[in-house]
Amino acid sequence: MISAPDLVHTFPFPFAADTYRYSTNVEPAGSAVPTPVGRWGERVVDIDSEYEHELAERAAILAADPTRSAVLPHMRPACWDTMLTLMRELARAYPESMALRRHGAGWRWRNDRLGIEQDFVLGDETTLPAEPLRYIAGQVQEDIVLLDQRDGDLFGDAGVVTFAADWSFGFDVGMTFLEIHGPVPRLRATGVITRARDFLMRLQPGETYRRTNWTLTIGRRLDVSTELYHEWGPDRTMILGVSDEEFGRLVHLRVEVQHLIRLPESGSICFLIRTYMLPLADIATVDDWRVRAAAVLAELPDDIADYKGIIGYRDRAVRWLRGV
Amino acid sequence: MNTLKLVVTAIDDTVGGIRTLTLADPDGNPLPSFTPGSHIVVECGGKANAYSLTGDGNSPTAYVISVLRCADGSGGSRWIHDELALGDTVAAGPARSAFAPVLRARRHLLVAAGIGITPMVSHLRSAQTWGRDVHLLYIHRQGRGAYLDTVAELGQHVSIHTERAAFSAELLAALADQPFGTHLYVCGPASFIDDVTGAATRLGWPDSRIHLEHFGSEALDPGEPFTTRVASTGEEFVVDAGVSLLEELERRGFEVPSLCRRGVCGECRLAVSAGTIIHRDLYLTDADKEAGDAVMSCVSRGGADTLEVAL
Amino acid sequence: MRPDLELTSVPVWALNPTRPGADLSGRAWTIIAFGPHGADIAQTWIDQIASVHGESAVRLHRCDDGTQCDDGTASAIEALTADLVDARVGWRLMMAGPADACLRLRGAAGALGVADDEMTVASTDDDARTVHCVHCGAVTRAQVQLDQVLPCSSCARKLLVYHHVSRRAGTYLGFMVDAEQPAEVPS
Repeated sequence: MISAPDLVHTFPFPFAADTYRYSTNVEPAGSAVPTPVGRWGERVVDIDSEYEHELAERAAILAADPTRSAVLPHMRPACWDTMLTLMRELARAYPESMALRRHGAGWRWRNDRLGIEQDFVLGDETTLPAEPLRYIAGQVQEDIVLLDQRDGDLFGDAGVVTFAADWSFGFDVGMTFLEIHGPVPRLRATGVITRARDFLMRLQPGETYRRTNWTLTIGRRLDVSTELYHEWGPDRTMILGVSDEEFGRLVHLRVEVQHLIRLPESGSICFLIRTYMLPLADIATVDDWRVRAAAVLAELPDDIADYKGIIGYRDRAVRWLRGV
Repeated sequence: MNTLKLVVTAIDDTVGGIRTLTLADPDGNPLPSFTPGSHIVVECGGKANAYSLTGDGNSPTAYVISVLRCADGSGGSRWIHDELALGDTVAAGPARSAFAPVLRARRHLLVAAGIGITPMVSHLRSAQTWGRDVHLLYIHRQGRGAYLDTVAELGQHVSIHTERAAFSAELLAALADQPFGTHLYVCGPASFIDDVTGAATRLGWPDSRIHLEHFGSEALDPGEPFTTRVASTGEEFVVDAGVSLLEELERRGFEVPSLCRRGVCGECRLAVSAGTIIHRDLYLTDADKEAGDAVMSCVSRGGADTLEVAL
Repeated sequence: MRPDLELTSVPVWALNPTRPGADLSGRAWTIIAFGPHGADIAQTWIDQIASVHGESAVRLHRCDDGTQCDDGTASAIEALTADLVDARVGWRLMMAGPADACLRLRGAAGALGVADDEMTVASTDDDARTVHCVHCGAVTRAQVQLDQVLPCSSCARKLLVYHHVSRRAGTYLGFMVDAEQPAEVPS
């Protein structure tokens, strides 16, 4: 086992069948999903043994490239709403180390894991060390995108995205939900993404749903944004020339658990994207996972494999999983 | 749906025909935050009516609603006026948002008649928190103005009328002269809404800048009971109003795949061999729906004849 | 395998010339025409509006279309910004010219708060495209089509002109087309 035990026990294995296609696979959030070696899903905001490392990674990425974070001016209320909502979720999931309480005319937030105690007043930026979305993004492993609902559509008008899987938040800021997903083959043509958009627009405050997404990443590399494609792209060719042992260590099954929350006061939608990765070597230690992952990869249509960037080494991944 | 049980902690009848209720959590806990313009659906003596929330929207200690007594309505408002008392408990659904302020608006022009003032009050409160530019035009019948003191306190640009001609003159002048970027919000009787939106459209307002409050038109409709037959066993049973075909089948031990339970993901699709289908989903295509041989069991329903599912 | 372009973020008018009629539902208009072809279309619009609303409700701005030198987008955005200072709700924006200029003006208009139903676009050609290099952030304008490759004017990487358009900037996404073919094959 290469990864820390908690990462295996809480890994959200994404395949419910032996084949995979894009679908509007949303379901209510919060229920635990059992796996052969543990479970995942009870928490909307999830902290694991990579917490401090991933927060440091995020800070470094933002320092090097500020375009990974943006807040269009009108999204200010939505950013405060997001911060309060995520603080509530953290306090609910980790009550022994996180708490949000009323404090005089304002609030007091406590995050013992990071040694934070912060008094603040809603709507008053001078009472926080950073703009609220950036402030809370510095305390969660999730990427965050906020969607403004107006004109019968959803606009991605704010966010902090440092662990993008081959897209560019900086380029996409201000685009509609359908436009952002425009490049993905099949999503628009099959109506999957239009249904997802209509579903999101009907979400009511207090409702949280979730869905999963997946791909393969070479190396335990969080930031595979399009901005850095020139750095990680060559790995897709390099991987064909490595030993089997290297292959199993380097190729990761990468899963995104996305939570979709209707923010209560601003009415905007908060999209949380939480990234998990396990190397194939660890996937292979769970026989159900090994067999199913191989089946899905083997059957995956070429256009989907190509869009996910895995078509070059997909066959080798199947052989590797089946040969173990 | 999570039903809230709320206790009536205050009743205000100072304005004739309008009863204002303060509703709190029985244990004193803060209530969920809500978006300005939201409403709750209250169970009132066997009926379910929607009322706008007029209080503070950030983890408030209470929800406040104002109910106009309708002599010839279905009875819900009469029950609230005549039967409900201090200390009673009412059941209500969670806050639903259908009339939210547009975050990008440079100015919000609120136009209300009568009890239509109620969703505007939460707009005004939120405008204070976020420093929004809000203008209110309100017309009410003499002696029937609600929240007059509240809106005067909350808003800097509030114009209140009791006489139609003066109101209309000011409204037309306002609609013709809003700075680019303003959004319009209208609430009141249906004919009032039609008049105001008609005037706005004639003055060139695009649809994206006009917002109307429609009470209770969201799909809360529990539907009619219908009979279902399971083809493989011949079992026949009634699916009650407020219960989905999926829920009834699950209750009877049938295994039907499901995921979103909202009519979007496609998992709970069942083949239909007979009977009329009332489609309420977002998944099947128009062609699918017309073919009438598949039903999304989590939201869609049967008609007057027996629905036979190939299960 | 590319998705149906009509379902992407590339507006249909950025792929083929289009010529819609004037939006007569408004009450005041700013019309921006790029180049002589744009000016022709603008004149048709002015005539359509005048027959219903009268001529005084229209402000027309003629800008360069970029075939000779730097395009007139900067002056167009200035004119638009100035008109919006005292515009009232009921105002509409109509623009006619090369798709490239229209994409960039549309982006600026959106940032200034103009809604989609307050804008009308007539494109006269889609010969030029402005491409954003996602790697170094530079923009490069050239006579180039979708799926073609052009060198970034700043970092020299070979960029694929991708079917993805930024709403705010009016630029096409350009990313390195040969990242997975490294110059040296590792031994």
